[in-house]
Amino acid sequence: MDPCDASSPITTHVLNTSDGVPAARLPLSLHKLDVHMMIWNLLTVGTTDDEGRCAGLISSDAFSPGMYKLRFETRQYWESLGQTCFYPYVEIVFTVTDLEQHLHLPLLLSRFSYSTYRGR
Amino acid sequence: MTLQRLQHIKDHILTGNQCAGMTTPPPSPLSTHVLNTGLGVPGAGMALSLHRLHQATDTWNLLITGTTNDDGRCPGLITREAFIPGVYKMRFETGQYWEGLGETCFYPYVEIVFTITDPSQKFHVPLLLSRFSYSTYRGS
Repeated sequence: MDPCDASSPITTHVLNTSDGVPAARLPLSLHKLDVHMMIWNLLTVGTTDDEGRCAGLISSDAFSPGMYKLRFETRQYWESLGQTCFYPYVEIVFTVTDLEQHLHLPLLLSRFSYSTYRGR
Repeated sequence: MTLQRLQHIKDHILTGNQCAGMTTPPPSPLSTHVLNTGLGVPGAGMALSLHRLHQATDTWNLLITGTTNDDGRCPGLITREAFIPGVYKMRFETGQYWEGLGETCFYPYVEIVFTITDPSQKFHVPLLLSRFSYSTYRGS
């Protein structure tokens, strides 16, 4: 892999579907499950940019098979917009088996709904 | 005429209960509905559990476990009395579910965490699920 290519094998994109805008400045974190201890290890903490994206979630070197969790601080986000949210946070837990593929995990979010899918 | 009508209405209600195939519990103020959007069928036979956050210790208390019926529903999740304000979590064993259908799932489980401030309302927390996507919304 080109050392100058900083793109993370896991990316996300948060959309505010209520207002039809990217969800900017939403805090999030990526975790990996330690199967021996059965605890979650925090890998990265970040905040979405103006486009609702967050670069550098994980490096290719650190990307190994296992169970991961992407956590989005949805209540904080809506609070910063002066609103409440039905979901205090959203955690998406997923399994990585194939390291060759890029994983894109978007979150389409409103105050009372959300959806996600596995993209490439 | 009035007695006949009352009998007719009573029969109708009892028939409804029998068609459900179970003793119908009092309606829960919280409900769910699992849909398998990959196959276009209800998500039947999915194990799930409801938890409430114990704020003082920041730990989850398990309230009930259940399995969705043929309609993808799980009646009787919680009683009105037990449904107090707080943070709840509904956990769906999605990995197990898809394994039962001979498939893998990107999501080993799905946990939906939500805040109840006004428990006098009705809350419907459905899960629309495929092997590689899911969505939920707050219904009533």
